[in-house]
Amino acid sequence: MNKQTKVWLVLSIALSLLALGSACSGGNTNTTSNTNGGGASADAGPYSGPTGTISGVISYNGTPPAPKKIDTTADPVCGQKNPNLMTDDTIVKDGKLANTFVYIKEGTVEGGKKVGDYSWPVPPTPVKLDQNGCHYAPHVLGIQVNQKLNITNSDATQHNIHWTPKLNPEWNQSQANGAPPIEKTFTRAETLVPVKCNQHPWMKGYIGVLKHPLFAVSSDTGAFEIKGVPPGKYTVVAWKEGGATGEEKTMEVTVPANGSAKADFAFGGAATGSTKPSLQMMPALELPVMKH
Amino acid sequence: MNRGLNRFAILVACATFFLIIAGALVTSHDAGLATNDWPLSNGQFFPRMVGNLFWEHGHRMVATTVGMLTIVLMIYILAKEKRDWVRKLGIFALLAVIAQGLLGGLTVKLMLPLAVSSAHATLAQLFFCTTVSLAVFTSRSWIEARPLPEEKGLLPLRYLCTAALVTIFLQLVLGATLRHSATWDQHLPTHLVLAHIGGAVAVMIALGMATLTVLQRHKEEKFLARPALIALLLLFVQLSLGIAAYLTRLKSPDDPQPLNPMVSITVAHVACGALVFVSTIILTLRTYRVLPARPALRESFLQDYRIGQDLHVNPE
Repeated sequence: MNKQTKVWLVLSIALSLLALGSACSGGNTNTTSNTNGGGASADAGPYSGPTGTISGVISYNGTPPAPKKIDTTADPVCGQKNPNLMTDDTIVKDGKLANTFVYIKEGTVEGGKKVGDYSWPVPPTPVKLDQNGCHYAPHVLGIQVNQKLNITNSDATQHNIHWTPKLNPEWNQSQANGAPPIEKTFTRAETLVPVKCNQHPWMKGYIGVLKHPLFAVSSDTGAFEIKGVPPGKYTVVAWKEGGATGEEKTMEVTVPANGSAKADFAFGGAATGSTKPSLQMMPALELPVMKH
Repeated sequence: MNRGLNRFAILVACATFFLIIAGALVTSHDAGLATNDWPLSNGQFFPRMVGNLFWEHGHRMVATTVGMLTIVLMIYILAKEKRDWVRKLGIFALLAVIAQGLLGGLTVKLMLPLAVSSAHATLAQLFFCTTVSLAVFTSRSWIEARPLPEEKGLLPLRYLCTAALVTIFLQLVLGATLRHSATWDQHLPTHLVLAHIGGAVAVMIALGMATLTVLQRHKEEKFLARPALIALLLLFVQLSLGIAAYLTRLKSPDDPQPLNPMVSITVAHVACGALVFVSTIILTLRTYRVLPARPALRESFLQDYRIGQDLHVNPE
């Protein structure tokens, strides 16, 4: 092989290797541990004492994105049962936002202990998640670590439940119509774990897994209430689904003994609270795109 | 030359191309885990193929067919083919399709880990390359090809084509990794997109140089000029499809489900990538078939050099 050929060959292969190397080196470095639930350090036993509540309303400012029609023709069963299936990532009624997951991220209970220092008994009742009309009901839910999740299929078709957590083990299981409920537990706190059905790719849901029971999901009126909160000062987070990453707002809240604290959040246009993307997903691509 | 064998090898290559399209449809629809079973789907050989199970189980059925065809092809080759290295390639094709099937099973059982999914997509291209090579080696044009006069250019074509082939293969690995690094509802990782764009530039240079050199030196020789022209045309189509795929994929996280044109354009980009790869393989194999090897070329250069020296010493 003459010299020029060698140079050309090396140049060509080097370009490809450079491209490949770039691909291998710049991976997703967003591996921050997400142990929401109070940041447990030492077990101070269960909390016993007076408690208060955190309540509030989730508002949506401006015009919410219009729900999109879902094409269910790939599975006629879905279309028959739920002919007007629409996306439900932003459900707004009279300016109030449903399906927002609100929880205590961290904080100090009166007396100086962290909320995560206490052990929080696991409720014996399982949390229910139903697949109905090729749609998850509820769409957003909360559960405690090691609490049972009872998954049912009310549709005359087969679904598969595919959880894609970052901290808990990923799992995927098919569930035929009439099959017995599937029971699962999450062993680590993680907000929020997405669930999807690979058979019906529009089916999406989210579950917040926490060590404590101090969480709630906003109703259709945007209202939420977190009960049984020990008096103290907390960082409260409101998370809403949206796009590929979700959106989070935080607020410092002080809860009095036997009293109530307000935590109203707003998403959308002129929203209140500090905002940051959530869910630790892939970063948005920021390459120039021509716009008309 | 056995015409039946050649036709059957072409059939297997076409079926493999169809299988690549079926596999790309699975990825674009995010249907790979529509069932957690393998090799059965939801415990059945013929499940109700609705929703994304249509794509996943359909892919498995096409793959099974290709596996069967490859077994028959190997038997056909062993029965009819005299050349030992072609017989060995037939056996290799069967081993590759078995490995590919197992990798497909692993992707389901391990829930689509990036390394396994990318390996599955890459081996698909290599298997396609093998079946196309078998079709080339059993063809009349291959067997009856006669060596061409030695090349006069500085860059030997067989090395130019090999370099283009290696570059395309690396780009295919990158593309497979990119496709499997994010589902339709997630944004593609920027570093992989940039790497894939860099790879496209490298392919453009490498394949552009190889094909244009072929067309320049052997314009009249259809045996070389035809695959070169096809590869060049496919390269332009592929670059256009790549831009279109990027633009449609950019918007897909806002969609309620994988929609057209994102699905059709990304699948077309995968399919066209496979065609660019095999057209370059055909071109490369043919350059090795008809163009002189390096020692002969060196001898040719030396001859040119000697003539030049003689002319210099004795201008008359």
